[in-house]
Amino acid sequence: MVSLNAVLLISFLLFSIGIAGVLIRRNALIILMCVELMLNAANLNFIAFARHNGSVAGQAFALLVMGFAAAEVAVGLALVVALYRKRDTVQVDDINLLKG
Amino acid sequence: MEHLIQTIGRNMFAIFGVMALAGAVLMIASRSAVHSVLGFLFAMLSIAGCFLSLEAEFLGMAQILVYAGGIVVLFLFVVMLVEMSKKREGEVFQLQSRYAVLTVAVGAAAFLAVFRKTIFGAASPEALVLRPDLAKGLDVAHQNAQAVSRGLFADYLLPFEILSVILLVALVGAVVLAKTERV
Repeated sequence: MVSLNAVLLISFLLFSIGIAGVLIRRNALIILMCVELMLNAANLNFIAFARHNGSVAGQAFALLVMGFAAAEVAVGLALVVALYRKRDTVQVDDINLLKG
Repeated sequence: MEHLIQTIGRNMFAIFGVMALAGAVLMIASRSAVHSVLGFLFAMLSIAGCFLSLEAEFLGMAQILVYAGGIVVLFLFVVMLVEMSKKREGEVFQLQSRYAVLTVAVGAAAFLAVFRKTIFGAASPEALVLRPDLAKGLDVAHQNAQAVSRGLFADYLLPFEILSVILLVALVGAVVLAKTERV
């Protein structure tokens, strides 16, 4: 039996690593991957609580979150490709069109 | 030997969790984007292992199919398309990274302060016990796919349908965003 605390701890650490990656990396692709990692940490919590409750709602919503993540990756990667066509870079520091 | 195997079997979740953390660290720390994608793949497969050890078999398999089969391949294609043609960047981390690390530290401390009792405290719940009676006649542990499908297509049909519309919108949006001007 896995205790709920272990799942929460692992998921918390994964989420923290995701936030750290979003904040410190410059590459837009890696930022997208870190967002995926955070969604997965949330999924882990969903499943842990579903198992804790003995209900299946958490698992159903984890599946929905997986679908959202797939849609988000498709749009995000299309944005990265369009950005690369226009500006010839994927480094977020070089993207300052809106900077006053 | 028997004892070792039994110990590993009991601690399967912890092993997969540590592997996922290692993959995530490799993902954000490696200089090359391809290595980052490989770390991402490793983390996703380990999280699938976590799902399996939490008795969510359908979701574990879906995780492997969706992430290892779809999303990682998509990421690799874009990395090949975008990164390989450019010279390697000297600076990996952002200019304000010192402040970012500070922000992460403060945020993590706040999270820990809030969830300290839940995660470490004595008031934490006991080990998980399945209560199949709540799943309306289905044994969630042994009929995982049936239970998930009942949740998805009976109780939560509307979010499922909305998700399908969102996927369609994302599909059209991705095509519009990524296509060249002259077609």
